[in-house]
Amino acid sequence: MLKIKNLKADVESKSILNNFNLEIKPGEVHAIMGPNGSGKSTLSNILSGKKGYDVSGEILFENKNLFELETEERAHKGIFLAFQYPLEIPGVNTNIFLKTSLNAIKKARGEKELDAIEFLKLVKLKAKELKFDEEKLNRQLNVGFSGGEKKKNEILQMSILNPKLSILDETDSGLDIDALKIVADGVNSLRKKDNSFLIITHYQRLLDYIKPDYVHVLMNGHIIKSGGPELALELENKGYENFN
Amino acid sequence: MREKQIDKLKDYKYGFTTDIENIRAPKGLSKEVIEFISKAKKEPKWMLDWRMKAFERLKNLKEPNWQKPKYPKIDYQDIYYYSAPKSTSTKPKNIDELDPKLLETYKKLGIPLQEQQRLNGIAVDAVFDSVSVATTFKDKLNEVGVIFCSISEAIQKHPELVKKYIGSVIPLTDHYFATLNSAVFTDGSFVYIPPGVRCPMELSTYFRINASQTGQFERTLIIADKGSYVSYLEGCTAPMRDENQLHAANVELVALDDAEIKYSTVQNWYPGDENGKGGIYNFVTKRGLCKGTNSKISWTQVETGSAITWKYPSCVLQGDNSIGEFYSIAITNNYQKADTGTKMIHLGKNTKSKIISKGISAGFSDMTYRGLVDISSKAKNSRNYTQCDSLLMGNKCGAHTVPYIKNKNPESNIAHEATTSKISEEQLYYCQQRGLNPEEAVGLIVNGFCKEVLQQLPMEFAVEAQKLVGISLEGSVG
Amino acid sequence: MEEQLKIDFEKLLENSNFSKKNAEIKRKNFDNFIEKGFPNRREENWKFSDLNQIISKNIKNLSFYNDLSKPNKIDQSIYIDGLEHNKLVFVNGRIEKIEFDYEEKNKIEILDDLVLEKSNNTTNSLLFLNNAFVSKYFKLIVKKNYSLQKPLVIYNITNKDLVSKNINLKVDIFLEENSSLKLIEFSNDKSTTNFININYNFNVQKNSILKNYKIDNNSNSNIKYCFNNISQDANSVSEIFLLSSGSEFIKNEINCNLNGKYSSAFVNGVFILNETKHHEIKTNINHIVENTKSYQLIKGVLEDTSKAVYQGKIFVDSKAQKTDGYQLSKAILLNDNTEFNAKPELEIYADDVKCSHGSASGSLNEDSIFYLMSRGLNYKEAKKLLINGFLLDVVEKITDSEIKNLIKNIMSLKQ
Repeated sequence: MLKIKNLKADVESKSILNNFNLEIKPGEVHAIMGPNGSGKSTLSNILSGKKGYDVSGEILFENKNLFELETEERAHKGIFLAFQYPLEIPGVNTNIFLKTSLNAIKKARGEKELDAIEFLKLVKLKAKELKFDEEKLNRQLNVGFSGGEKKKNEILQMSILNPKLSILDETDSGLDIDALKIVADGVNSLRKKDNSFLIITHYQRLLDYIKPDYVHVLMNGHIIKSGGPELALELENKGYENFN
Repeated sequence: MREKQIDKLKDYKYGFTTDIENIRAPKGLSKEVIEFISKAKKEPKWMLDWRMKAFERLKNLKEPNWQKPKYPKIDYQDIYYYSAPKSTSTKPKNIDELDPKLLETYKKLGIPLQEQQRLNGIAVDAVFDSVSVATTFKDKLNEVGVIFCSISEAIQKHPELVKKYIGSVIPLTDHYFATLNSAVFTDGSFVYIPPGVRCPMELSTYFRINASQTGQFERTLIIADKGSYVSYLEGCTAPMRDENQLHAANVELVALDDAEIKYSTVQNWYPGDENGKGGIYNFVTKRGLCKGTNSKISWTQVETGSAITWKYPSCVLQGDNSIGEFYSIAITNNYQKADTGTKMIHLGKNTKSKIISKGISAGFSDMTYRGLVDISSKAKNSRNYTQCDSLLMGNKCGAHTVPYIKNKNPESNIAHEATTSKISEEQLYYCQQRGLNPEEAVGLIVNGFCKEVLQQLPMEFAVEAQKLVGISLEGSVG
Repeated sequence: MEEQLKIDFEKLLENSNFSKKNAEIKRKNFDNFIEKGFPNRREENWKFSDLNQIISKNIKNLSFYNDLSKPNKIDQSIYIDGLEHNKLVFVNGRIEKIEFDYEEKNKIEILDDLVLEKSNNTTNSLLFLNNAFVSKYFKLIVKKNYSLQKPLVIYNITNKDLVSKNINLKVDIFLEENSSLKLIEFSNDKSTTNFININYNFNVQKNSILKNYKIDNNSNSNIKYCFNNISQDANSVSEIFLLSSGSEFIKNEINCNLNGKYSSAFVNGVFILNETKHHEIKTNINHIVENTKSYQLIKGVLEDTSKAVYQGKIFVDSKAQKTDGYQLSKAILLNDNTEFNAKPELEIYADDVKCSHGSASGSLNEDSIFYLMSRGLNYKEAKKLLINGFLLDVVEKITDSEIKNLIKNIMSLKQ
């Protein structure tokens, strides 16, 4: 599904990622762990097409060169990024935002767009599943939401847009244990044989609730070690500093 | 790389012309032309005298020059002051007798006039160049005593009301363009809501400039008698021409005790092309008088058109406990210029006013919010709240905020806030990650920015206005 | 008045030995002033304060020529107590003392008879008047890398002998790179109904700091105008504090150009007005290059029939991305006949900026008074406490603690 070959990324001629390689197959859950400044957020931003990076190498998503696609076109293809810091957009109603976005994706894929009633039915269902306060969906997007609510809102958006590849950028940071469970349940309910996940995190604790197939350690701009879930525990015990 | 380049500025959807035979007054401004207009309208002598008085005063007035947008000198002798479709020289008794070309024009503008296709719950007065060509739902309104007709008809049929209120809010000598309008005004709407009546439907006027080299000088007068309520909407469009055309309207509102007037405008006059050629000069005087106690006047405007917009819909809060509101969205793109805002004059006790202004500038355009809040020493316990937000797109445009705040009353409070910002890259990226293209994302964010104003509009208009906000900014991101 | 102006101007030329060039420039300025006259409300800048009217209402037979040949006695009792400082003392417009006891002599230079330069001023008629009639044009230069040890106080004193005169002062202050100056302008007037017209030009070079405190606190019947032009280079800071309280009328106008990256300007002011006083603060902060910052906070307390005006403009050039501009004005109106007018203006041509302004005016919060009274204060005490709290907020912005305390004392704001 996703193949990253020899990715190199610079910001203002400072190297962030280099010789980065990763392959994710349909249905797999990969976790990338790394200390602050190791390039974790850069990776998620590059996958979703944020501007401002000098990149080289190759990223193929379902055999399509991602570098040729704009951010929204990648979203249409099924890439979803749950932001580390979800944005506030004043005045924009959350429901309207979600509907606009869902229909933009459906339209790009040539699928039938949802009307208001169908959409509300879908949202109601998903909000209930994720224990998300429905009333909040009538508020301005993320405005006045707590940190946990913003993160849950990202997961709600993910479950409604039903992407093929979901990238969770430090979604666990700032969550209490109840919210963490809800987020994890949301992810687990989306795990299907065609849907893949890339979970970017600093800590191991989210991986107690979402069992990854593979764990990678990212340091100094590239993966220094890969393994199974046990690698996360090893990392937690040793700490990043002693890992090398 | 980006394959689908953002479309060039979309064609102005209302830019077509209607090929129709006109009757025009001779070109230029003169005593004879004013007599011609008055005669064409079959006006009584007092009306002609009033016009002449304005014409006399005009000779001593100069065009104001304090506004930010400057414009080339207007040759007032090179304008037609009256132009009417020939077929309307004897006003048709009912709409089915109307020239099919006119019916077609309004249909194309989305304002069907025929009985079976009329907009639900909205009565329309259609003004084409200098004349009102049709007014719908008149009979239904008549049943509850609401008078809704063209001002020309009102001058003939309800002279006592017109005589009493015309010029009572905007004095004959107010300023150059208002006085010019008083001398040469052609048509416009007249509304009277009798005491205690809540007008059963939205009233609306649709202004269309069609003829070339013609100015439109409409005059609207709305009177809400004691305890009544009316919501009134106006819309405006004009063909694409590479000349500048002058539109200098006067709108007067009078609210008596416990009455409320809600006046909404969606102004989409032709803005000129992307190089700033052509477009309407929209120099309009709008003023409401909250004459009675507990009266309320609320202005809502969405200003997206015109080469130059220059208007300050105002409220004179004379009655105790009266309320004035002003909600505005103004958008300028390409070479458009707007200098707009409001005046809230607090005279009565316990008067309240609220101003919410959202200005968006893009391209090479220039936008100014200019407003006055004046609390007189007698206006005890009065309040004003003002919020002006500007959004800039690019650094070739300008956004300016020029509020004048005068407080002469220690028991009154004024609060004013203003911000200037831009759409952040992060917000755009977030929306794009959810599948929206940059234009859709900007449209969404800008509509969010304008939300407080958009929600003041009646439903039918709000949807149109939201689309218009998006269209007006097309070509401004990239 | 024109007649008087002409007679007085000729008298001035006769009794002074201006160079030919200087006299020529003076005449040009004089002609310009004659043409324009005192500004009135038809000028946007003077919309809220019609100087022409104010002068003709307050001053009978204004005359423009001052005989500066004889020295004036300095009333030393008005010197600021408890603060070691350098002095420049003007009495009735004549320089009487220049004293820099605390400083290294070669680090400071004072020129006292500069020749006027041709300016590009075309609109400000009071600058024309100043240039035409000012007798001596001063310039203070603070040398590179030097910070004055002690503040400089410019005393502007007028005594009983001065009646219905126009006084003009012009001082340039030049801070070379890496220098700093704390300047207090302190006025004391025992004279009646004069028009005092002052022009400061500050040039703040790279990395330099100007702190300027203007104190107009003792009650007097003079009409004053003070125009401050500030030009700032990269990394420079200017901090201005205005105590606007004593004179019958004073308009402080500040035009500040942030010409260098990372330069910043802070303007803070308080109006404390009673009786028929009418004061104005007008600012023009021009953000010319990127990464510049300005902050303005103005508060007023108005009593009797007094009137305060704040016109504050933030201009942002299209090159001045990342500008941070902030402006807030607040006033408390204590009586029925007081008036507060504000025109907080933004003119912005760059999109990546953060600019905001706010203005509020109204009465003292009765709930707060009630709260304080319920704790045992009487109405007067409660009112005083709230007003002091309201004003203290601005005084606290002063970064020099010694001068902050001095000003608190002058304003009798004790903590």
